[in-house]
Amino acid sequence: MKAHRLGALIVKESRELIRDPVTVALAVIMPLIMLFLFGYAVNLDVEQVAVGIYDLDNTPASRELTARFDSSRYFQLEQKTTDLHDLESALQSSTISMGVVIPAGFARQLLRGDEAPVQVVVDGGYPVLGRLASAYAEAVITNFPAPRQSAVRVQARVWFNPSLRSVNFVIPGLFAVILMAFPPLLTALAIVREKETGTIEQIYASPVTSTEFVVGKLVPYGLVAFLEILMVMVVGFAWFHVPIAGSPILLLTSAFVYVLTTVGIGLLVSSLVRTQLAAMLITLIVTLMPSFLFSGFLFPLFTMPLTLQLYSWLFPAGYFMEISRGIVLKSAGLEAVLPNLMMLIVYTVMVFVFAAWRMKQKVA
Amino acid sequence: MSSPEPIVAKGLGRQFGGNVVIEPLDVSVGCGQRVGIVGADGAGKTTLLQMLAGILDPTVGECQVLGVDTRQGAKQIAARIGYMSQGFTLYDRLSVKENLSFAARIRDVPDELYRERSERLLSMSGLGRFTDRPAAKLSGGMRKKLSLCTNLVHEPELLILDEPGLGVDPLSRRHLWAMLDRFRAQGLTMVVATSYMDEAELCDRILLLEQGRVLADGSLEELLRPAAGRVFTVNAGNIGRGLRELSGILAHIQSVHSVQWLPDHLRLVMNADIAENQLAELLPEGAHLAAAEPRLEGLFVLRTEKMTGEQQFPKLTRQDRGKEEGLVATGLSVRFGHFKAVDRVSFEAPSGELLALLGPNGAGKTTLIRALCGLVAIDEGSARVAGVSSGGGSTALRRQIGYMSQRFSLYLELTPWENLRFFANAYGLAGGAARAAIDWAREVTGLTDIPDKLTGDLSSALRQRLALACSLLHRPRVLFLDEPTSGVDPVARYRFWRVIRELAASGMTVLVTTHYLEEAAYCDRLALMLDGRLLAHGSRSSLNHSLGLEADATVETLFTAAIEQAGTANSRALGP
Repeated sequence: MKAHRLGALIVKESRELIRDPVTVALAVIMPLIMLFLFGYAVNLDVEQVAVGIYDLDNTPASRELTARFDSSRYFQLEQKTTDLHDLESALQSSTISMGVVIPAGFARQLLRGDEAPVQVVVDGGYPVLGRLASAYAEAVITNFPAPRQSAVRVQARVWFNPSLRSVNFVIPGLFAVILMAFPPLLTALAIVREKETGTIEQIYASPVTSTEFVVGKLVPYGLVAFLEILMVMVVGFAWFHVPIAGSPILLLTSAFVYVLTTVGIGLLVSSLVRTQLAAMLITLIVTLMPSFLFSGFLFPLFTMPLTLQLYSWLFPAGYFMEISRGIVLKSAGLEAVLPNLMMLIVYTVMVFVFAAWRMKQKVA
Repeated sequence: MSSPEPIVAKGLGRQFGGNVVIEPLDVSVGCGQRVGIVGADGAGKTTLLQMLAGILDPTVGECQVLGVDTRQGAKQIAARIGYMSQGFTLYDRLSVKENLSFAARIRDVPDELYRERSERLLSMSGLGRFTDRPAAKLSGGMRKKLSLCTNLVHEPELLILDEPGLGVDPLSRRHLWAMLDRFRAQGLTMVVATSYMDEAELCDRILLLEQGRVLADGSLEELLRPAAGRVFTVNAGNIGRGLRELSGILAHIQSVHSVQWLPDHLRLVMNADIAENQLAELLPEGAHLAAAEPRLEGLFVLRTEKMTGEQQFPKLTRQDRGKEEGLVATGLSVRFGHFKAVDRVSFEAPSGELLALLGPNGAGKTTLIRALCGLVAIDEGSARVAGVSSGGGSTALRRQIGYMSQRFSLYLELTPWENLRFFANAYGLAGGAARAAIDWAREVTGLTDIPDKLTGDLSSALRQRLALACSLLHRPRVLFLDEPTSGVDPVARYRFWRVIRELAASGMTVLVTTHYLEEAAYCDRLALMLDGRLLAHGSRSSLNHSLGLEADATVETLFTAAIEQAGTANSRALGP
């Protein structure tokens, strides 16, 4: 590798990049759009469940129970009738997700100290919502009219994300997804564009080695990707008020390693294909899709069948997802993130070696 | 061990898949030699050059370039040669200077040397005034010159050029070769693939390639020697139906090997030596026969194909088009922002006229055609095509015109047959009508057997015929051909013009642009464009007369004179 050749490649690549307004816009705007879109759209908190109450008792006690539901932040009273027939149609039309039936004689039985049954009908169409809503309802009902005494008392403490805000969990995960989506896309197009226009033949017919060529592409695009990291992180933490528990420096450093991996994947793809269209599609398939499904971004990996868990190890997004969430939520230090970081480094080296090897020096 | 000869290839061959592209061949090129590689499209010229440049490994045999094996030492070779590929070799977003300095630095040229050489190269190529202009905004001619500079900046010992004149206007081409001549004088060895016969004639040695085999190898004189005494020209004189009748008669003479239909005479190549008076007896009275010097182009025809069959060119009956107009433009202007691509152009071409539109790259030829076709909005003036106004690009207009663009707009992923069917349907032809139209177009263009391959895998000569067939399906009244012969070998070009002339004779108005100026002589009239303006318009002899040239001066002389007379030749014509 010769410094002046590499320098010439980097300068040339940077100039081309800066003079292409579409690429620059793509590099800056798309990650932000994705950050905002997903930051707001991916909300795992179940709140304000629409509930209908069918009060067949209509006594002060039943009205008191209704008020309890109404005042809870987990529920929103959508319908309140004394006619049971409304329940079915309301559930079917998704006006409500849960119906509470207070039978006649509810107040009398309570007063006598008997068991007073209340029926809760939950829409199980969306299982997570159904499960959570029935649990919330049970909590409201068991504590009525007053909290029950029990021999054993549970004292649950939520660590790392005490407010249980899902945005605190989504944003650090989004870093892994966004940095997997855009940097490789830009890089993949960069080499293939030279193949399509034919300028690569000049490179072949010059003393430039494949390593120099690959590194010459990597440096400017890696730099752009690093700027993307900074931008996405600043906006993510500031706008969405996500607190960082751990070291920001460690997070940035790991992100830098991760971006080298993702840019390397882009280089690898473009060393294998001939057209920009193919490069774009393959990059999206090998980066974006698995980074959603197999990284633990939304779906925990341990619930997957073993084969899919093994498959998920092929995609680096999962490693950085753990690092990012570890540092942001759990204040993980270097020793905690090291195994994942090592995986990323090994991954990067492999991708680069393969890309440089595949980057042929010949036409065919 | 270093060899005194820059290129020594032994049994060099290449296959792609099971396809033999280059049959094993032995070639050596001496120091300072300029070797021209001539061959039809698909003959393997590019493959051979890529192997010589070391960027393509041979399947068999070996090749030593500058004493280094191309398989092992490709990078060593790369540092010492220049290879200019056929396509674009520049970075569009980089300026002239940036492209050049990039080329120099990746080829390890020290800064001091670069400064001195770049100045010299830029001034030699006339690019000195455009150093800050992005490559994308250079004309085709200037791009080629810059590409050449990027391949000369490291002062290579061997220069390999793949069709350097392709798509370049005649003036720029002349400049390009002037630059090459200077470097030749310094002893630079060159290997040039070309489809321009005049370029090949400038080489010390010519390699005639056909289907991966070397058909002939030698100096121009050596190559032409076998044809000496076998080439004649025949003038139709006062024979009733002129050249057409004459060529019909010639087709029946056994000893005639090929008949080339040139603008005002026929050129015959005989099978064997024949005395002039012997041949004259076979010809009808009134025909003027003369012995002629063999030319490389004729030889190429001779070598590659026996072609006497007039039956390949169907006679078209003249369609009675009534008195309708062909093409009329009045004060036509097209602006792109502040730039006037076409500036108040007025001309007329009656029905059945074959009009050549000539001009350097960037003169506005393509824009003018696109405006006439209704593909670009006309800012000022008006145009009528076969009686229909060009403004707005109506369906009525589209039915009257056929358009074949520089890049042969075909679907490369479809077979030729599917392309024909698609275009027939696109013009509203279906079922029997579509079949009839396709049969007719195939007959006219000589596309008798269609290979069962994807269009992208066809040679560009076949693709050119297919593109013409597609643009003829709806029997347009006016046909626009934008550089229809670019990159196509001489035989195919010659055939193409035969078809075009038949079409014009049948009453179709044809407007053609071309960089092969000798081809313009096939046309009834010429129109010269420069900087968006129409410089001159008329028949070749009347233009020659008005420019004070001899009546039979070549189109190239005419072209150069007209541009120089325009007074802008040096400041603008060479510029973008």
